[in-house]
Amino acid sequence: MTTEAKKRNIPDLLFSLLTGLASFTIILLILGILATLLTESWPAIRKFGFFRFLFTVEWNPVKEVFGAASTVYGTLLTTFFALLFAIPTAIGIAIFVTEIAPNFLKGPIGAAIELLAAIPSIIYGMWGLFTLAPIMSKYIEPALQKWFGSLPVLGMLFRGTPLGIDLLTASVILAIMIIPFTASISRDSFNLTPSVVKESAYAMGATQWEVVKDVVLPYSKLGVFGGAVLSLGRALGETMAVAFVLGNNHRIATSLFDAASTITVTLANEFAEADSDLYLSSLYYLALVLFGLSFLALATAKLFLLRAEKKYSR
Amino acid sequence: MTQEIDLEVKGLQFYYNGDNHALRDITLPIYKNRVTALIGPSGCGKTTLLRCFNRMHDLYPRHRYEGSISFEGRNILSDKEDLIRLRSRIGMVFQKPTPFPMSIAENIAYGLRLKGIRNRTELAGRIEQALKHAALWNEVRDKLNNSAYDLSGGQQQRLVIARALAVEPEVLLFDEPTSALDPISTGKIEELVSVLKQDVTIIIVTHNMQQAARVSDMTGFMYLGELVEFGTTEKIFTAPDKKQTDDYITGRFG
Amino acid sequence: MTREQTRKIENYIALSLSGLAALAGLFWLVFILGDVLVHGLGALTPDLFLKDAVPAGMTGGGLRHAFVGQLLVTLAATLIGVPLGVLGGTFLAEYARGTHFARVISILADIMVSVPSIVIGAFAYAILVRPLHHFSGWAGAVALAIIMIPVVLRTTEDMLTLVPWTIREAAFALGAPYYKVIIQVVYRGAATGILTGVILSIARVAGETAPLLFTSFNNAFFSTDMNGPLASLTVSIFQYAMGPYDDWHRQAWAASFVITLFILGLTIAGRALLKWRYKK
Repeated sequence: MTTEAKKRNIPDLLFSLLTGLASFTIILLILGILATLLTESWPAIRKFGFFRFLFTVEWNPVKEVFGAASTVYGTLLTTFFALLFAIPTAIGIAIFVTEIAPNFLKGPIGAAIELLAAIPSIIYGMWGLFTLAPIMSKYIEPALQKWFGSLPVLGMLFRGTPLGIDLLTASVILAIMIIPFTASISRDSFNLTPSVVKESAYAMGATQWEVVKDVVLPYSKLGVFGGAVLSLGRALGETMAVAFVLGNNHRIATSLFDAASTITVTLANEFAEADSDLYLSSLYYLALVLFGLSFLALATAKLFLLRAEKKYSR
Repeated sequence: MTQEIDLEVKGLQFYYNGDNHALRDITLPIYKNRVTALIGPSGCGKTTLLRCFNRMHDLYPRHRYEGSISFEGRNILSDKEDLIRLRSRIGMVFQKPTPFPMSIAENIAYGLRLKGIRNRTELAGRIEQALKHAALWNEVRDKLNNSAYDLSGGQQQRLVIARALAVEPEVLLFDEPTSALDPISTGKIEELVSVLKQDVTIIIVTHNMQQAARVSDMTGFMYLGELVEFGTTEKIFTAPDKKQTDDYITGRFG
Repeated sequence: MTREQTRKIENYIALSLSGLAALAGLFWLVFILGDVLVHGLGALTPDLFLKDAVPAGMTGGGLRHAFVGQLLVTLAATLIGVPLGVLGGTFLAEYARGTHFARVISILADIMVSVPSIVIGAFAYAILVRPLHHFSGWAGAVALAIIMIPVVLRTTEDMLTLVPWTIREAAFALGAPYYKVIIQVVYRGAATGILTGVILSIARVAGETAPLLFTSFNNAFFSTDMNGPLASLTVSIFQYAMGPYDDWHRQAWAASFVITLFILGLTIAGRALLKWRYKK
């Protein structure tokens, strides 16, 4: 900053104070959320134990016994399958958009992917309930059951009655939802690869795929990884896309065709109805766990993306 | 002097973006095992011409070639030309060093692997040979598995040359290879170019006239997309036919 | 088969797969948007905008109460979130430019952008609903504002940083104090960018459901009282879609259509504005 800018008078001091306070709201909010979640969940933590809560399967509002195991398990499972479907697709899209698509297609496809990211999650959720779930239960899930149901071990994943309101449908919707994020971050990372390095691989007679595989991907792996972790953070905290089609069932699901629950779905369905302090406190404990998990994922993602940026700006 | 012609450019026209006429009726021979320098003020088309020899323009849309460049009896500007094979025979070194994000050894092995060489002993031998050829072996022999980015700029550029040499190309294209380097590294690269011509035909684009005079046998002076004059380096730098060439050589413009 | 042929085939396979991936991505977009369009257009009636809800199970009625509620909550959120975001971004890009503080806040704001919105709803419930013993439009507005602040703050910071430093120096040279330089010169230079940030942040919160579920809650009746529970389109969609009545489902589709159209329109407008302003 120039010395000129540092020369202060009273209105200037006030303005800088005002803006400074405004920027401080970010810290205030994060600390406030953390403190509130901790205070509100304190009764549940005291009653059920910090770790015991996490590993207790039972969730019984009538008997007032609460444990997070089934919801945390559901959260991690839907997120895992969603990423499993989404990441390869997203990277494929990014490769297509940056390296293969003819120029006149790059813009429109990129824009379409970003639009997909702007559609609110409740639309995904409702579409999942009315359109995807019937398709899943009528065609896709019976077919999966027929092909894989008789396999040892893997077959376990496809047991039960395919109703369409289950882990698989929820994971698919979640995947569709996070594909645009992952794709657009991967695309941005791919674009950071210096074109002269790509050219020099082409100049050695490499094919497009070899350039992508040997130059672009290694070059952008930090960014792509950061994007994947960011998607993980998003998927963990997504509520409405899964709330419609997961069934809110507090059991440890063993099949992809089982109804299940996630932290977000439990909060969405039970928060406004929680009729005892301990019930509400347990829900806050779930929210605290979710906040912790997603904050961790998002911070890690940010770290990777920053390192990627630094590496390229050399 | 009578010499074998390696690449022959005839009536080459090149257009960017459909109608931007970047090269106008270029005709020149590239002699085998000689260094041909292309000089001229920036924007004259020398790099554009260089990038025709390995069809780099094909990476980008809306370009058009007319005329021919014959190489081993066929026109490499033809649509049927196999670019992957062509580029493995005609290597290229860029302005800035372009090591790939892998180890020093892997960088050299890259082109060899593309050619399907898998045998570890053969790879190791070829890596050593290429690095020696590029006068880099003594500096990196103990750190072949380090990242290529750990090397200095000059070393990186010689690594890139070694990488291009490893696949034993017939022709090497240099696009202002020393413009990002310090004088000492520049000297090493120039020395290398003079030695390499025993094995490969070299075309070098440079805006440094002293460099062209030092390393090349033949020189072409380009201006506004045209090849103004082509001849032996000695003649171009001492007794050019055209006034434009003389003006450029003596520093009166450009 | 020669080595080169194998490589070329490998190339075609890999490129086709990534092309397929892109096609799959577009397929979902077309599928979802098409579905919303078909169902939504079919259910779109003037009643949807002009009438309030009728008792559950009866046919007819509309979502006027939800449109109004959504509008109020979003407006209030914008009034709270935008000034805080713009001012905060100003501090990071101007007074605190290049400091560790600015960097840390910037990173935290980026993280805040993606914090689960339902957690923010739970936070707003704890500070604004429980102490007052009733759901309220204000609680919903605050929850949405909390989501908006980091978005607006980050875009403002980025847009102000894009304004060349020399322009500020030119203003300093005329003897203007820094705050006047910011307000009169820098803001003007970055106005389009900041506006885009605001538009995109409105698009972002207009589709939020989770943070409203237990803040502004829902209301079957027409209300403009921000101190009481307010209906919103998104929460109504959730309630209606999960409900048993066909008429509810139709209205949920119609509301989804309207809200999707609104958000996509805002998003496209925001991007177009940015492109128009910063085209090289």
